[in-house]
Amino acid sequence: MFKELDPILHSQLRLAVMSLLISVKEAEFTFIKEKTNATAGNLSVQVQKLKEAGYIEVVKEFKDNYPNTTCRITQAGIKAFEEYVKALQEYLKVGQSKQ
Amino acid sequence: MERTDEPLSPEESLRLIESMINKVKGRFNEDGHLFLFWGWLIFFCSVAEFILFHFYHYEKHYLVWSLSWVALAYQVYYIVKKHRRQKVKTYTGHIIGYVWLTYVILSFLIGFLIGRLIGDTYFLHIFPIILSLYGMPLFLTGIILRFGPLIFGAVCCWVLSVVATFLPYDYQMLMLSVAMITGWLIPGYLLRAKYQRQ
Repeated sequence: MFKELDPILHSQLRLAVMSLLISVKEAEFTFIKEKTNATAGNLSVQVQKLKEAGYIEVVKEFKDNYPNTTCRITQAGIKAFEEYVKALQEYLKVGQSKQ
Repeated sequence: MERTDEPLSPEESLRLIESMINKVKGRFNEDGHLFLFWGWLIFFCSVAEFILFHFYHYEKHYLVWSLSWVALAYQVYYIVKKHRRQKVKTYTGHIIGYVWLTYVILSFLIGFLIGRLIGDTYFLHIFPIILSLYGMPLFLTGIILRFGPLIFGAVCCWVLSVVATFLPYDYQMLMLSVAMITGWLIPGYLLRAKYQRQ
């Protein structure tokens, strides 16, 4: 029986954001935007969804008089990401054994 | 290219994860600026102290080290500015920051302890101890960044600390100058080159 892939993570942009954040301590919104090639609007929506799921923390503050958003992955986010990768590996194992 | 919200196949998901992790994996935040700054400063101070002490027999030869306080103020300013400028904070950068904080705390603590325990002649023992201490942050930073020249520089500091114990006091100062070249300036320029190539 396949474990269902987490629908929050199983989306291109949200998965890209989580993969970036799992590798660093924290990253600014502009850095994530640059690395994912996403538009600010789309990225904001996806970041908000990850935040609502409790997978990331978002801190909004002022830096040199400009608004600045910083994101970091939470413990729940790390756990969800690890489970997602495990589930992917299961899918791939089954796929390979069928060939 | 804009990322869409279309469903991914397991292979595509893994490829995406790998590519995003690779974008930050080898990221190198160390430009060697503080290595070069402190390397040159301590190099000049130690050479100046040697000249004042050895050739001019100037009693207050140690006054050249007052420059360190100005340098320390600049370092605090530089770190605060760099911290604010950084768009991403890595775990390696975080750990390296604490390694250097430990080093600064230990430097002050050991300076105080030597003064308290040995008394007026503390300065006769200070250089070998400082040299052995210099090796610690260099070695750990080299290991964390996987940067061989820093590890080599650390080993040089430790060797020089032992050599210094066999030398008269004024030549011990020059061991500090040599340590700056091998442990701070050469790795500092190599770090800068690596950062600029990135």
